[in-house]
Amino acid sequence: MRKVLLLIAAAAFAFGGAHAFTLTVAQGSDIVSLSPHNTNDQPSARVMRQIYDTLVVQTEELELVPGLAESWNQVDDVTWDFAIRPGVMFHNGDPLTASDVAFTLNRLRDPAAGAPAAFLVGFISSVEAVDDMTVRIVTNGPFVPMLSHLAHTATSILNERAVTEAGEDYGTAVVVGTGPFRFVSWEVASQVILERNDDWWGGDVGPERVVFRAIVEGTVRAIELEAGAIDIAYALEPRDALRARTNADLTMAEIETLTTSYIGFNAQKAPFDDVRVRQAINHAVDAETIVDVLLEGFGFPATSPISSQVFGSNPDLEAYDFDPERARQLLADAGLAGGFSTTLWTNDNPVRIQIAEIVQAQLADIGINVDVQVLEWSTYLADTAAGAHDMFILGWVTVTADADYGLYALFHSSNFGSAGNRTFWSSDRLDELLDLGRRTVDQDERLAIYYEAQEIINAEAPWIFLNTSIEANATRANVTGFVPHPAGHHRLYNVQKN
Amino acid sequence: MLVPLTYARPVHWGEHGTKPALIKYIFRRILLLIPILLGVTVIVFGIMFLTPGDAAILMLGENAPQAELEALRERLGLNEPAYVQYGLWLSRAVQLDFGRSIRSGRPVTGEITARLPATIELALLATLLSIVIGVPLGVLSATRPNTAVDHSATVLAFGGLAMPVFWQGLIMILLFALVLDWLPPSGKLGGWQYYVLPTITLGTSAIAAITRMTRATMLETLSQDYVRTARSKGVRERSITYRHALRNAMIPIVTVIGLQFGALLSGAVITETIFSWPGIGRLAIDAIRSKDFPVVQGVVMFFALMYAVVNLLTDILYAYLDPRLKTRYS
Repeated sequence: MRKVLLLIAAAAFAFGGAHAFTLTVAQGSDIVSLSPHNTNDQPSARVMRQIYDTLVVQTEELELVPGLAESWNQVDDVTWDFAIRPGVMFHNGDPLTASDVAFTLNRLRDPAAGAPAAFLVGFISSVEAVDDMTVRIVTNGPFVPMLSHLAHTATSILNERAVTEAGEDYGTAVVVGTGPFRFVSWEVASQVILERNDDWWGGDVGPERVVFRAIVEGTVRAIELEAGAIDIAYALEPRDALRARTNADLTMAEIETLTTSYIGFNAQKAPFDDVRVRQAINHAVDAETIVDVLLEGFGFPATSPISSQVFGSNPDLEAYDFDPERARQLLADAGLAGGFSTTLWTNDNPVRIQIAEIVQAQLADIGINVDVQVLEWSTYLADTAAGAHDMFILGWVTVTADADYGLYALFHSSNFGSAGNRTFWSSDRLDELLDLGRRTVDQDERLAIYYEAQEIINAEAPWIFLNTSIEANATRANVTGFVPHPAGHHRLYNVQKN
Repeated sequence: MLVPLTYARPVHWGEHGTKPALIKYIFRRILLLIPILLGVTVIVFGIMFLTPGDAAILMLGENAPQAELEALRERLGLNEPAYVQYGLWLSRAVQLDFGRSIRSGRPVTGEITARLPATIELALLATLLSIVIGVPLGVLSATRPNTAVDHSATVLAFGGLAMPVFWQGLIMILLFALVLDWLPPSGKLGGWQYYVLPTITLGTSAIAAITRMTRATMLETLSQDYVRTARSKGVRERSITYRHALRNAMIPIVTVIGLQFGALLSGAVITETIFSWPGIGRLAIDAIRSKDFPVVQGVVMFFALMYAVVNLLTDILYAYLDPRLKTRYS
């Protein structure tokens, strides 16, 4: 440790080191692994984003631009060729070739490897290196959203030699990417240290070193930032974020995330098979209160299953207004003027339990007697997948920031049950639109398709649309150039410290 | 906190207690650890087996295809009957192989040994602190019963016991890191400064317990006949307190220290969480939350083993401290 510091100090001195600085970032958990094939958790992804590159880059504005693929070309409905960027070097000195890319994607989707993020490349039928610098991907069916999948940290490109030679040490002791920072060390449950890759193909890298610290307790994370012991704190808890907002030494970097919280109905079970009942409940629940009370304002009432940050999100949709009178009328129309009794399931997440209690109180107002039941997480997932529920609370993160990922799994009739559609609600027109969205290349047409899909979902109300959330990141005031990404994997190479 | 497995109790050495007797006793105690630890394995395995929850679903998340779930259950051996899973697990556990973490894929033993030093360091420091403060404070209280000194010590001790650890930790961070800027708020990044706040936070309740125990046993010994005899012979009060009374009072105090040390080893979860201390307590909590069965089993076995060993050492020390036994060795 001291040796590394000395070396860095010496290096900085030797090169005149005008602006050598260490950037210390804190998040709420330690990483699990730095192999994208071993894990799919957010803390690890945030670090991997700095070490690895992906074929396609999704910018903070969600534009899809060339990354390790310099360009791509759709040969036919299901065949895509990717031209690999020439001259890119891995941190171990190997040049990047098409075979590294094919190796990476094939390993990710190999069932024997058991990669938790394998679902992100489920659309692939085959990947092969056509020549040294060209990779051909053939998909199972037309799959336009592929580019956003190839921008996800889980599809980061690995060095075949490094992975093979390291074996089980890959991702903990050995980590080799092409990204702006190279891996130095990982002190378990404490910190991960990265250093600048001066040969990065993407251009200049700001910080000399980046230290990712795991600071579990939210309040302590905020205090560390206030005390100046760290430069950036990710995902402050609402109460700490409110305090940070008023602190002149800090700069907030808040961003709406890709997460939507919802309560799903079992739409094949009476009385939730009646759209009027589902709409009535939407009118009876005041999502605004939930955002204000539970999230201290760090969120927005949801109008659709996907947050406004997702490509394809329909900006014209209106949230169901809080109108108990109208709710009672709709219930009466459905022949349930006297109300009814039902259950609402949640797992033992404290915020979800509070949401359930608020909803319970609000539904009591229109005569619906709700019994809130708290279930253990995996039982919860298994039983909702089996359709044993009436109503359940869940959240969904549209990790690719593309509407397909946010809608297909949750609403297509082919995904009933554990694959994602736990409301067991479907519509022929919606199925058709969701399939069309996968094969339409023209961006404007795709947008129109997803706009219509969300109109249908909004009107049919298989969910109580609860809220999206805001990730409250904060930096010291002397930190510039930190631009949060809606997916939470913020890039740090542009950050400066004055 | 774990329930102590054994309590230190007076050792009966038999009619002709000699050194071999002590060794025999230690050997017997070590043998006794085996059924105790076996019992723990049954309980640990049983609890994890009986709690609802499917590790495969937890690993693959909320939109996993049925076929993948099945394949994973097969791979993890979750489809085998309980006794087969237990047998397989036990046969490896005796070789200190607790399998691999479901979450990280790394060997459980490695995960534990990576975290163990941080926990032991903290527990040792906290125990040391509690002895250095608790014993003198207890003696002070006992030698001046019902004075202002005694009452202050009592208030301090009960305050220390009553204060919630998370509250104390946060207040200390606020005060010493943010307001005074003397110490780093959290972490273990090298340097003694990082040890100060967690040690005090973790040690506070042990200080309280040791103070109370010292006071009580000292009061008892100070009223013994041999103390009165010493006084009547004109032995200095200082010598009476420390050479005669404290030595005899030490036996139950050592027991409490041993138990506290065991508790600190396994009960530092909150302190470790507040101070982002990379110890085994946090590993345990993370594993329980994510239903990482192999890690939970491994950690609990380690806790049980440590507790048992600490208790054994306490008993041996206890025997050694007893002057009646000491004369028999020499």
